[in-house]
Amino acid sequence: MEEKTKRAIRAGIILAFVIVVIGLLIYSRIQAYSLAPTSTPIELRGYPLWAIPLVYLYDYFSHGTICLLFAFTVAGLIYEFVPKEAITKYMGSSRAVGYALALGIAPFLTVCSCTMVPLFGGVLYAGAGIGPAITFLLMAPASNILAILLTGELISWELAGVRIIASVTVALVAGIVISKTPWGKAVEKEHKINNAASATAKVEIVKPPLDERLWAALKFGGYLAKQILPYFILGLVVVSYLEAFLPEEIIKTYLTGVGGVLLASVLGGPLYTPTLVEIVLGRGIWVREGVILSKGALLSWLMGQPYDFANAMAVSRIAKWKVVATYVIIAWAGSVTFGLLYGFLSGSL
Amino acid sequence: MKEVKVEVIGPDPPCSRCQAAKWAVEKAAEKLKQAGIMVNIEKANIMSKEVVQKYGVLVSPAIAINNTVKIMGRVPSPEEVEKLIMEAAK
Repeated sequence: MEEKTKRAIRAGIILAFVIVVIGLLIYSRIQAYSLAPTSTPIELRGYPLWAIPLVYLYDYFSHGTICLLFAFTVAGLIYEFVPKEAITKYMGSSRAVGYALALGIAPFLTVCSCTMVPLFGGVLYAGAGIGPAITFLLMAPASNILAILLTGELISWELAGVRIIASVTVALVAGIVISKTPWGKAVEKEHKINNAASATAKVEIVKPPLDERLWAALKFGGYLAKQILPYFILGLVVVSYLEAFLPEEIIKTYLTGVGGVLLASVLGGPLYTPTLVEIVLGRGIWVREGVILSKGALLSWLMGQPYDFANAMAVSRIAKWKVVATYVIIAWAGSVTFGLLYGFLSGSL
Repeated sequence: MKEVKVEVIGPDPPCSRCQAAKWAVEKAAEKLKQAGIMVNIEKANIMSKEVVQKYGVLVSPAIAINNTVKIMGRVPSPEEVEKLIMEAAK
């Protein structure tokens, strides 16, 4: 009995913390208080060179801490409470289910890239085929919850929404197209295992008590923060200089319009920006005093991430280079198409 | 002396969370040795066909005790692993 009350109290404390974090974010929303940095280029240029990143970082963290805290807490909670065994059980069962799960669940499962490539392999071997595996692989980094939350908070929720729609479409198209190509089929054939899951092995996941799960969720959120924040801060340092010294005219000339979309889509990929840095960098380049200079180009830039080299290398160890090349091309074409389309429709190319 | 087989399943090269899981298992094994339970720790590659054939798709890190996956996608504490191994040894 005593053990039970102890656990209940512990769970209660953690839940209270989570509620406070969510409450703070809602409160900042109601107050219409900006969560993004507010320094203007002219202000920044007034400081000595070495002080610019410090001023910008201070500006960012005085506004953005709530947002980061919220993002990592929610990411940890969702990761912990998403029913992983249900997903892995059905992921390999059929093509349609595979696609549905890849699209619906990948964003919640794979905030950590080291789980992504193994899952890709698992899905491929277990018989769902290369289509869902590719969809899963493209979907996970393109719109994982952390990326979406931060895109929404730092840039705009409209762009975050469009980013989801665009990446769902591209991931699905890439999966379906690759599963129809001869080289895609070859990889599928080579890796398919007949009769997966033998009788000797079982999966019986043990569920720890609620307080331990909540604590594990927060710990995972902390782990994510430790992985991501160093890059994120480095990104902010770069952005502080970009904001201070990159003239608006240069961006307007080269990084807007059709040419801007093309350039952004090309830069976004090979520049390999570890998770979330692309959001800060994108903001630093295209957002000037709260106005997005080209929504289309910014979307292309953000979508450029899934075909980064590090991922492609890891995947090419399992799949053939032709498969990797196909998905890189489709992802690139998708980022250009959606960039142009969104830019055109929103009147901000 | 009872023997329990524990597989730590993760990608190769290992990710940091899988190493944390392995550390928890090693800690538990040390303690259980004194209690007379022999723990054989094996590292299994989550990407290998053998593992997928045996267990299906998994989320790393996963821990299987006597061919049953008990933990998936999280890092357990040494105490929790100890308890699970004790149950398996009964």
